[in-house]
Amino acid sequence: LSAFSPHSPVTSEQIEHLHRRFKQLSRDQLTIRKENFDSIPDLEFNPIRGKIVHAFFDKRNLRQESDGLADEINFEDFLTIMSYFRPIEMNMDEEQLDRFRKEKLKFLFHMYDSDHDGKITLQEYRNVVEELLSGNPHLEKESARSIADGAMMEAASICVGQMGPDQVYEGITFDDFLKMWQGIDIETKMHVRFLTMETIAHCY
Amino acid sequence: PVATSGPPSPAGAELLRWQWREVQAPCLVAAWILVASLAKIVFHLSRKVTSVVPESCLLILLGLGLGGIVLAVAKKAEYQLEPNMFFLFLLPPIVLDSGYFMPSRLFFDNIGAILTYAVVGTLWNSFATGIALWGLHRAGLMDPGVEAGLMDFLLFGSLISAVDPVAVLAVFEEVHVNETLFIIVFGESLLNDAVTVVLYKVFNSFVELGPAHIRATDYVKGVASFFLVSLGGTAVGLLFAFLLALITRFTKRVRIIEPLFIFLLAYVAYLAAEMVSLSSILAVTFCGICCKKYVEANISQKSRTTVKYTMKTLASSSETIIFMFLGISAVDTSKWTWDTALVLGTLFFILLFRAVGVVLQTCVLNHFRLIPLDRIDQVVMSYGGLRGAVAFALVILLDREKVKAKDYFVATTIVVVFFTVIVQGLTIKPLVTWLKVKRSDHHKPTLNEELHEHAFDHILAAVEDIVGHHGYHYWRDKWEQFDKKYLSQLLMRKSAYRLRDEIWDVYYKLNIRDAISFVDQGGRVLSAAKLALPSMPSRTSMSESSVTNLLRESGSGACLDLQVIDTVRSRRDKEDAAMHHVLRGSLYKPRRRYKASYSRHFISPDNQERQDKEIFRQNMKRRLETFKSTKHNVCSSKSKARLKEKGKKKAMSNKAPNGKMHRNVPWQEAASVLVMVSSEEEESDSSETEKEDDEGIVFIARATDEVLQEKATPGSLDVCPSPCIIPPSPTLAEKELPWKGDQADLAVYVSSETTKIVPVDMQKAWNQSISSLESIASPPGVESGPQHRRFACPVLEEQPQSASQVTLEHSSCFQFPSHVPASGRSQSDSSPDGAEQQELQPLMATEEQQGRVLPTTEPRWLMFNRASHL
Repeated sequence: LSAFSPHSPVTSEQIEHLHRRFKQLSRDQLTIRKENFDSIPDLEFNPIRGKIVHAFFDKRNLRQESDGLADEINFEDFLTIMSYFRPIEMNMDEEQLDRFRKEKLKFLFHMYDSDHDGKITLQEYRNVVEELLSGNPHLEKESARSIADGAMMEAASICVGQMGPDQVYEGITFDDFLKMWQGIDIETKMHVRFLTMETIAHCY
Repeated sequence: PVATSGPPSPAGAELLRWQWREVQAPCLVAAWILVASLAKIVFHLSRKVTSVVPESCLLILLGLGLGGIVLAVAKKAEYQLEPNMFFLFLLPPIVLDSGYFMPSRLFFDNIGAILTYAVVGTLWNSFATGIALWGLHRAGLMDPGVEAGLMDFLLFGSLISAVDPVAVLAVFEEVHVNETLFIIVFGESLLNDAVTVVLYKVFNSFVELGPAHIRATDYVKGVASFFLVSLGGTAVGLLFAFLLALITRFTKRVRIIEPLFIFLLAYVAYLAAEMVSLSSILAVTFCGICCKKYVEANISQKSRTTVKYTMKTLASSSETIIFMFLGISAVDTSKWTWDTALVLGTLFFILLFRAVGVVLQTCVLNHFRLIPLDRIDQVVMSYGGLRGAVAFALVILLDREKVKAKDYFVATTIVVVFFTVIVQGLTIKPLVTWLKVKRSDHHKPTLNEELHEHAFDHILAAVEDIVGHHGYHYWRDKWEQFDKKYLSQLLMRKSAYRLRDEIWDVYYKLNIRDAISFVDQGGRVLSAAKLALPSMPSRTSMSESSVTNLLRESGSGACLDLQVIDTVRSRRDKEDAAMHHVLRGSLYKPRRRYKASYSRHFISPDNQERQDKEIFRQNMKRRLETFKSTKHNVCSSKSKARLKEKGKKKAMSNKAPNGKMHRNVPWQEAASVLVMVSSEEEESDSSETEKEDDEGIVFIARATDEVLQEKATPGSLDVCPSPCIIPPSPTLAEKELPWKGDQADLAVYVSSETTKIVPVDMQKAWNQSISSLESIASPPGVESGPQHRRFACPVLEEQPQSASQVTLEHSSCFQFPSHVPASGRSQSDSSPDGAEQQELQPLMATEEQQGRVLPTTEPRWLMFNRASHL
């Protein structure tokens, strides 16, 4: 239990909560597999559920300098993923904030970049948008595609500016991604409160 | 019979009668509104003044001045803010406006903080102020004339401590602090109404009963009534919001009264809540917040605009009148009695307790808030606690018999309101600047942002699910599912429900915005066009972009199609053809604009505008010079290709437009403007930049005859070297449309591939126009002999017109016949186009007249050609 990732400033109480939840999900195993997430009933309606679960097993999110997909994750990994969602703290200085922000964005970026090539290509973007819009059965795939195209256009215009005709915008790199997020306080949005967590017995 | 002077005799009929008495009331109302509105105009004449002094201050000062004049003239204060008028007529529009246009997401995200400040904060302020003043009174610091007990002071505290929505909105709208801060202060001012109303009523009844008769149950009742009033008011609001949404679902055939329903039902909600003494402000606020989503989806775009403007107008005029009358009312000295200790004490206490309350509450709230409110926010919140007309109206409503110190309270309230609105209102802006409060960044919403925010919501909800914590995101997610499944289906039209999606909405709006900005740019290009070609419609008519203008514009552009042959066509055909040209010009244009800008880019990135014009003129000139020859080159190459391989003419015939296109740039740019273009542009750009549609983008090497063609038009291609994007294949209809010549091939670019990014309803319009075009029986083409004969005749008339263009360069004119044999078919193809355009374009008539003199041999050439062809 003590071996949690060094940069997750979650209190021990929260870790205990999380550990209980982890055991609940893994059915008292040491690791969680993808199938374990199927047992969460509320997750079923989430349109981008696949992407989110995927992110838990994405090695890029788990530790630095690694790639690929893990088959199963242990509690430490679970905590690492959770630490992406911690809120900012009052006493952070500029540099910390910046790193913090980048970490969160990286997580998001990895979620979009499903083929791990460091770029969100149009096809990947389309997939995300399609999944996002899949909740609305009346919106056709075509419009999802055109929205993705439009978004990609916008991204290209933000990141590259005027483009030559032969120039091809292959996809959003992480730097471009950062550019797009300028002025939006992601750090104030992407967090979940672990503080008042109660173990959810009624899930089972 | 002339009515004699003096008392009118009943027998004689009167021509005119002085009826001031009948119209007096509405006339006065209208006059006051007019005065206030005119005053607003005067204020805004000077930017300097309004940027420093909030409008509310100016209005109060104006009111003071007017009140002084009335007092001086009539010797008594005639007008003042009547509480009844205020609560029944002036307040509802403002509250409805603020509720309806409240950013609901932001509001509900911060609802915890807002409720805390509204309920706890207001309670604290009331009691603390009341008790402190009472203490001051007991200490003997006040005038002995102030006959008031603890209950009186608590009553006064309750009415003076509530932050006023009207004043807050008036001042904060001009300050532009960040959204979170704004929504907290503003939300508080709206929601504290319930607390104020309850406290006011409870204490008022206590005062009326007298301290001796209050029993313990009365206190309990007071607490219970708080919940009843606030929750009841909210429930009434929700009920009416539901009704309103449901009604607008069925207004499809009575679009004209859609806005009326919104105003009526919201007002009825207000009155209903008032009737059963629930919190009417809460009722209207929640009615506005909750109905908006469904109502906006149901009503038409025009109704939406109407609602928006009417609401803003009503709210704005109410606000104006309220502040002006506050000023006027203050002049009425008979109503108030001054006591320095009370006034200063109240001012001091409300400022102090507000600050203390904010700091304490924020301290607690920050433990729960994810984005903590920092010191600076707290200062602004404390300082932004403005009091306003609600307090004034409430204090006027007090019963002098029961509340002995009413006159003192009135005076104090007026001073407090004036102090907060004028002094605090004036200083808050410098304060905000000085403290460097995070301002709201008014960046336009981007599609990516919207997409990511949606993704965020889902991610956060999912993480909460995984962690097993039922937090805010969890419930929000649940609510949205419920809304999607049941509420939206019940309250929205099927058509609206189907298309409703926030991402889609943003996408749609962005498209429209881009289109509008594009139209502006198009207008700029056109002004250059005007210099070069006097026959173009003027810039102003362009900006109006009425249908006739569009028709004319496209007409003027198309008159440059030289080969013109008339056919007998019905009116409908003409309209369709005109529409077709409008669509063609406007839908197709973006790509060309893109290229133009791209070529601009190549020459030099700076000085774009000047160069734009220059290039335009150069191109224009070159085009005039080489028009004839190039045209025939194109024609010949194409018809050759068609002759060679009749069935499969895709790749070859597509060559022509490439070369053609560049030279067309300036003309087409100037030709027409339509709002739907930018979506087109996006698509074309995206397809270009991302190479998504493999079949859609084919880069081909130029064939030989095109190279020749380039030689014939020296320089035109190096100005705009551009990629040649060739769509898979032109649709059959486009090829066979009788009024399209070589230019028609350009329209190929707007084939099915490119239309898909156009918003659905626009697509529909496009498809309709396409299908209507297809439905016109197109002339069979080369094979039908009689038709050619029919075509041949009008050439006599129309050909000269083309020649008139050429008169500038005689040499090219003489080239013409030699090319005719080859180009015969395409001439006959494209000719009706020009003919029809000419009918639409009376401007061209004079040119034609001039042209008549020109070579009469040409038609014969054509005739000959046709015969041989057959």
